[in-house]
Amino acid sequence: MTHSCSRRKFLGTMGATAGMLMARPFSLLADTAPAGRVAVGVCHQYGPGVISTLATMFDQLGGLQKIVGGKTVAIKLNLTGVSYDRLGHMRQEDTYWVHPDVVGSTIRLMAKAGARRVRLLESPMGTAEPLEEFMLASGWEPRDFENLGTKVDFENTNYLGYGKKYARFMVPGNALMYKGYDLNHSYEDCDVYVSLAKLKEHATAGVTLSMKNCFGSTPCTIYGDGSPVDEPGLTPKGGRGPFHDGNREPSKSALQMINPKGSKDPGYRVPRIVADLVAARPIHLAIIDGIQTISGGEGPWIPNCKPVRPGLLVAGTNCVNTDAVCMGLMGFDPMADRGKAPFETSDNTLALAEGLGVGTRDLNRIEVVGTPIAKGRFNFRKA
Amino acid sequence: MTLDAKWVPMKWPCGPLDFALRSKGKAPEAGVKETLDTWAQPAALEILKGTPINCLVVGWAAGAPEDAAQQEALKPLIAAGIVKGISFVGKIAAKDVAAAATSAKAAGLAAVLISEPSAQELDLPAILQVARDKVTWSAATPIFSASDNEWPGVKMDTMKGDTAVAGPTGVPWVNSNAWFSLLAGEMAPGKTIWLDFDAPEESTVEHPANYTLAIADSEVYGSRWIVSLDDKLREALLKSVPQATATWTKIGQTLSFFASHPQWRAYKAQGILTVISDFSGDNGFISGETMNLLNRRHIQFKVLERSKALLAPIPGAMALLWLDKDAPTAEQTTKSLAFVRQGGLLIAPTYWGPAGVRPTRRDPSIAYQVYNVGQGQIAVPDEGFADPYQVALDTQLLVSRRNDLARLYNPATTNCHCTFDPVHERRLVQVVNYATAPADYVTLWVNTRARAARIWNSGSAESQTIKGVNAPPGTDFGLPTVTVNCALEIEV
Repeated sequence: MTHSCSRRKFLGTMGATAGMLMARPFSLLADTAPAGRVAVGVCHQYGPGVISTLATMFDQLGGLQKIVGGKTVAIKLNLTGVSYDRLGHMRQEDTYWVHPDVVGSTIRLMAKAGARRVRLLESPMGTAEPLEEFMLASGWEPRDFENLGTKVDFENTNYLGYGKKYARFMVPGNALMYKGYDLNHSYEDCDVYVSLAKLKEHATAGVTLSMKNCFGSTPCTIYGDGSPVDEPGLTPKGGRGPFHDGNREPSKSALQMINPKGSKDPGYRVPRIVADLVAARPIHLAIIDGIQTISGGEGPWIPNCKPVRPGLLVAGTNCVNTDAVCMGLMGFDPMADRGKAPFETSDNTLALAEGLGVGTRDLNRIEVVGTPIAKGRFNFRKA
Repeated sequence: MTLDAKWVPMKWPCGPLDFALRSKGKAPEAGVKETLDTWAQPAALEILKGTPINCLVVGWAAGAPEDAAQQEALKPLIAAGIVKGISFVGKIAAKDVAAAATSAKAAGLAAVLISEPSAQELDLPAILQVARDKVTWSAATPIFSASDNEWPGVKMDTMKGDTAVAGPTGVPWVNSNAWFSLLAGEMAPGKTIWLDFDAPEESTVEHPANYTLAIADSEVYGSRWIVSLDDKLREALLKSVPQATATWTKIGQTLSFFASHPQWRAYKAQGILTVISDFSGDNGFISGETMNLLNRRHIQFKVLERSKALLAPIPGAMALLWLDKDAPTAEQTTKSLAFVRQGGLLIAPTYWGPAGVRPTRRDPSIAYQVYNVGQGQIAVPDEGFADPYQVALDTQLLVSRRNDLARLYNPATTNCHCTFDPVHERRLVQVVNYATAPADYVTLWVNTRARAARIWNSGSAESQTIKGVNAPPGTDFGLPTVTVNCALEIEV
């Protein structure tokens, strides 16, 4: 590898940091959790305005070249659920999926910034079909992403895929639910990891933003309802029920629950698993599509979801910082505890990730560039 | 007397013979005899008013002591029916078919329904009825009937829809005779197929079986269901129980809907995929079940009997699924390779392309060796065509969703069938709902650009215009609530 920060070097640095972090109490980790810059852009519709808005935002973050120049970039998309679920007659990307205009603009800008290769990743529900076929079934054209100035490939990360083995990511410090997670090789075979998510609430975890997007990086061949007892399945079956309710362990090839007798409440488990995941597989760049989205939940299977148009794009190099700013823009308090909106029935994922030292959720410490939160705010609960 | 393809048939159980057959081995439920007697009366024909039903299938001869009494009892019914323009088909299960047919003719019946081809010439035209897994297509009569079909719908543990039985993917399992209707259309071209199946035993007046679906599932795919009501409904109808009357009205409306569009039957099935097999013997199960599962995946396909395969070009074909282990003939080999070289995809159990071509893998999830030959490909499964579910899934991926002709979003338990009117160059897409609950917010996507289409919804005589929304490379149509079926006519 010729780029300045190799994968191996980065993970080695993380390991050293982990050693330091292990020596500190949880609260001190939160106090010193990284605080960076988050860019907020206003963009009222998809189309040509997306790329110029994102370009400005990336410049405001210090430039994309520093992040992706010469690198292999893996982008975890947010295409949750199946290919045929729509909210009413509205297309998925206009409601609960990240929009292809945002995906394409991001790729184009990364290509311009010198990214060597971009890998689009997602774990479509209950299927090992090629990611391109999943996109086609949804009405997307994956070829639209292939002529944007850099090599683009696709991988369904809900199973082993093109890898020879799963990649194990250990949680630095004191893991919360599992000491490590086995993921598709693509999450390791990259220099830069990007979470590209939709700005949404979540019925179980309160919000789903750049961090919760990573819940879907876990393969259901190991962590799914239908995964075999001993070894990973060949194809994913069902959803991530075991993560939600702890009714069973993952396949024995993977690390088992730290506390098998612990809480079975999804509002307890899911935020902790997400915090573990973003600590274990750090996110270098978080991008949130809030141009058009839904309020009330994460997908049309949640009753009373409705389409909303906040007209926002958000990006940051720290996922906790970015999600905190997103929460502020959504009309929520990132410091909220369980019982307070949006965490009526769950613990605060941002607090847990902050406790692991991933980043701060304190808006007083985060530098917001572009549109101020107060000006860009779109109150999801009053929409 | 000739068989009339326009007959809209209904089973009409009545008389002493039907009662005797019901009584064999077990005592029939209370009220059955009275119902059978009442339905043998001319007055019972009044319920047909306002429906397109014009052909009644009655028990005629079963080699039972009650045969003579039956034939005598039905005389007034038949006479009254003929005056109303109703034709009668007598079901014969007796050894002396010829004699029974002669008596049927004398009584004014128009045809007989028999279970084996008759060695003797009969006085009346015959409709051959065979269990569908024992069909000899070459023996099919101009109107031909298959029995032992599925009652279409979502497989439920109870008729009240408490629990849907899930299929391999976890979505509710849907029973349908669609694939068999498509097969029959190929194997008995130009003939009319009547499907014989009865309502589930759990059907009640309060919770009736989905009769309108039984009609739609048959008609949309080119066959005709012999309308068959359960005993409780028949009893309640003659007593004018409001719920029974309401069910019967919907049945009549659905039959009328399809009867008012007879031209749709002549449209050709669309499909870029052609399924090739002899559909019999050792190949029967895998071919039938694969087609069933292809249909469940909303894949539009054509059916081609193996001996005819590739002798003539297949309009619009992009992919061939050769299911049989039997090798193609020399001519078929040559023509299939020509098809592949010009860009087609051949999915076959063994490789018969040119030597020296090294296979590749398209994707780790597809367990096929793929050979690039000319501009096309030959795909061969690693382990043969053992599991029809896997065959259907893999075929959909190999053909690619990019080549879909139509898709359904929020499909719930709907499915769609695409046909083409070559005369007016119009596409017809019919959507069928397999659940009893109406399907809301279904979007139909077609791979054609269209600003609008004409839509007929269940039971509506008149069409309306439905606007299309640009969804490149095709068009989205946000459908109104689908109760049983709807049909969109799209100008190409």
